[in-house]
Amino acid sequence: MTNDAVWETVVHIMRETFDDDSLEVTRATAAKDVAGWDSIANIELLVALQTALGVKLRTGEIAGLKNVGELADTLTARVRAAGR
Amino acid sequence: MDALKTLVGEGRRDEAWDRLFRLAREAADYAVVQSLCRARRTLLALGPAPPQPVRIRLAVLGGATTTMLEEPLQLLLHAAGVDATLHASAYGTFAAEMIEPTSATAAFRPDVAVVITTPANLPSWPAWNASTGAADAVADEVGEYWLGLCRSLHEHARCDVVLGNFHPLPVRPYATAGAKLAGEPNRFLRAVNEHLARRAPPYVHLMDVAALAALHGVDRWFDARYWYHAKQPVSFECLVPYARELAHLLAALYGRSAKCVVVDLDNTLWGGVVGDDGADGLLLGEGDPVGEAFTAFQRYLRRLKDRGLLLAVASKNDEAQALAPFARRPEMVLRRDDFAAFVADWRPKSRQLRQIATALNVGLEALVFVDDNPAEREQVRQALPEVRVVELGDDPAGYPAAVDRSGWLEQVAVSAEDTARTALYEADTARAVVRSSLGDYDAYLRSLEQRATVAPFEERHLDRISQLTNKTNQFNLTTRRLTRSDLAAMMASPNHLTASVCLADRFGDNGLISVIAARGVGPDLWIDLWLMSCRVLKRGVEQLICNHLVERAKAAGYRTLHGVYLPTERNGMVKDLYGELGFGRCGPIDGGDHWSVEVAAYRPAATTIAVVDAI
Repeated sequence: MTNDAVWETVVHIMRETFDDDSLEVTRATAAKDVAGWDSIANIELLVALQTALGVKLRTGEIAGLKNVGELADTLTARVRAAGR
Repeated sequence: MDALKTLVGEGRRDEAWDRLFRLAREAADYAVVQSLCRARRTLLALGPAPPQPVRIRLAVLGGATTTMLEEPLQLLLHAAGVDATLHASAYGTFAAEMIEPTSATAAFRPDVAVVITTPANLPSWPAWNASTGAADAVADEVGEYWLGLCRSLHEHARCDVVLGNFHPLPVRPYATAGAKLAGEPNRFLRAVNEHLARRAPPYVHLMDVAALAALHGVDRWFDARYWYHAKQPVSFECLVPYARELAHLLAALYGRSAKCVVVDLDNTLWGGVVGDDGADGLLLGEGDPVGEAFTAFQRYLRRLKDRGLLLAVASKNDEAQALAPFARRPEMVLRRDDFAAFVADWRPKSRQLRQIATALNVGLEALVFVDDNPAEREQVRQALPEVRVVELGDDPAGYPAAVDRSGWLEQVAVSAEDTARTALYEADTARAVVRSSLGDYDAYLRSLEQRATVAPFEERHLDRISQLTNKTNQFNLTTRRLTRSDLAAMMASPNHLTASVCLADRFGDNGLISVIAARGVGPDLWIDLWLMSCRVLKRGVEQLICNHLVERAKAAGYRTLHGVYLPTERNGMVKDLYGELGFGRCGPIDGGDHWSVEVAAYRPAATTIAVVDAI
């Protein structure tokens, strides 16, 4: 799976979760930039992303990601580790 | 989903709600349910939801995080016809909320409280090497801790309580040796669950989380990562099944569950097509793997009948062909008289189902349809959207699980009426035969030799009375849906007069079939609740129970008896009941009619039923 494909998935799922088809997402986007991105939405987002990409984040990875860029990188690393 | 979004976007609210509920009933995936919850929020912002048959106040308490469960639970309850107003307590406050008489939960006046717990909430554990006696003592103490909390909340809030039991842990550090260790953690959890099952009072309904976790697999059921992060009681993979089970349990408390399972015959109850293969050519019983699968399915269906569900057949066959295997094949587990209705002809299944619903006097939404043929299932889904159609799959080995997981077969208790239900329907057939042979209706009634007991509500009848209040739609004056706790409160109240009628005749015992409750205000007595099973309509029970209430009112010193008729879609038959009994219409009230009669002026109506002390 290419880095672009992972990124596309991240953007798509973010737009679904926050119910906003025109949501602007960059690597620098963080929780404070998106209306409704609270701790519950964070969990929803991570669950949806792990399901969509077929990976499981480690306990230490579920919180503490600073922005969407770090999130995408962590997910990409998991996808690679799964051999895909 | 896209179709739903379009409907929402176009503001077509009624269709959108309809589509939303259908999708909710089928959804298993957490992400899909999240989308549906978002759609529900959008729709609620546009306007109120369509009114549901049942409205309840639901308190949610947790030793775990309940937030992620709350919206899916409300969505699934809504799709099951229950409009729940929720009150959730802060994380970890369940004990205080249940103990304090002035807790916010008690002040919320819930109808039902749900307590969501995990093994982490147990107050004590035995030592791993404790003796059996010591370990069992801790299990009893822990069981009593939970039941004590439930008792406390029940007393303060007069509500029923749904309590989850405890699922096994995902590791076995003591390995096989653990089976012989009284203090082994999983053995201890089983002992606690056993204590709860044996000692739970009738107002506590145990949600069998242990059984659910076993069905899904403990590894899938519990996700330690989200427990550590957010104290989630269940994984996201299993969150929807958890919420759905809970929704169905709550719906069943209020009568929103199936009454009849309608099955096809060919390739559903047996292997093969009887019209082509003949009764002897069908695959049934030992000696053939497919035959064994069908036999096992019949055994499963018979267990449903044991606990009070009705079975019916809807088959496209000549009736004689359809009946042949019941007579000719000893491997048939189900017999003809296990079915309360048997329809075999060449009409569309939807017509057959309508006939069955009418014959059994149940609504279409009380039917579950089981048919191996996807085309038939689709025909019924389209023609009768209220009927629950099981997605049966194409392998008879999977049929029992497919029906079992349909979610519409929940039942919280089994009463004497439940175990006798199919026999009750057989007796009805016998009565109908007599009825058609006697021209004079009065002669027919006398020939039944009816006898009845009439008495105030009794503790041992409360489950059955609650069931009646929740399932009776036609002969129901005010359509109030009540839990055991509500009824116990009426029983205990000095201002209330209650009565229930048990009826038997020469064909059999109908059990408890009518209920009335009235509330005194000064010299006036108001009938808040009056309902009767339609199976005993126009046999004199209406007159009997009214006469009885007037006698009790007289003895208690009331001057005027008031009755209220609140119209619904289903209860038109009792619109003029009070008039027929000699009450005078006073005027409109609450959207319905207010009737009254002076107790001294009431003339007891005639009835052919003999009142006895015991049946």
